[in-house]
Amino acid sequence: MPTPTKGPRLGGGPAHERIMLANLSANLFEHKKITTTVTKAKRLRPFAERLITFAKKGDLASRRKVQGIISAKNRTNKTIVHELFTVIAPAMANREGGYTRITKIGNRHGDNAPMAVIELVMEPVSPKQAVVQEAEKATETAAPAAPAAETEATEAPVNEAETAEAPAAETEAPAAAEADSTEAPAEEKSEDK
Amino acid sequence: MAVPKRKMSRSNTRARRSQWKATVPPLVKSVENGRVTYRLPHQAQVVTDSAGTPLFLEYKGRKVADA
Repeated sequence: MPTPTKGPRLGGGPAHERIMLANLSANLFEHKKITTTVTKAKRLRPFAERLITFAKKGDLASRRKVQGIISAKNRTNKTIVHELFTVIAPAMANREGGYTRITKIGNRHGDNAPMAVIELVMEPVSPKQAVVQEAEKATETAAPAAPAAETEATEAPVNEAETAEAPAAETEAPAAAEADSTEAPAEEKSEDK
Repeated sequence: MAVPKRKMSRSNTRARRSQWKATVPPLVKSVENGRVTYRLPHQAQVVTDSAGTPLFLEYKGRKVADA
């Protein structure tokens, strides 16, 4: 549960804050990324993440709860609730909390209010592990050609071949990481040009 | 409504204003492509092309928003 907010509410009062958070979260689920003030983004984060937790549960009671919050006064928001339950919740299935990301983008022209972008974290969890798995698969497909002769000769070297494969997988994973890091500056250079 | 009884002297005005100070923002120093750049911490940066036209906002290698 989010920690209760102390101090004054957003907007004119508690009711105004409830409506504002409902509207902000509805727009967040519709557009996946919204720009707002840092204060509103920080208040929105626990509110929206709680709604996503309801969506991950996915039963009728939680759906009605979310509809009561998001689309109590606006029937068109029912499509957003549907998208939350059918698109966003499955994408967050493996993620244990931390469904949103807040990035500060500087102050707004006009009133100099600090602004932030709050977005749903839709990427799969831990891309590093995905890279390692890819590397291991690559070594498995590449390696059998060499150790195949050894395994046919004697059964004893099989373990050695496996132990040899394991470091190979490890060496390829950093190589992939290096490749990524070398690609990034190249992109930056091309942007500079 | 309470109003000042006396005009504030030029000396007093200037003495008050002499206490106004600009604060140094806490900048982060980093070297990119051999150039030293300073940026505000925990905030997205504007990525520009060679002509200086802003392209998009970037933070930790991730595109955040359009400029």
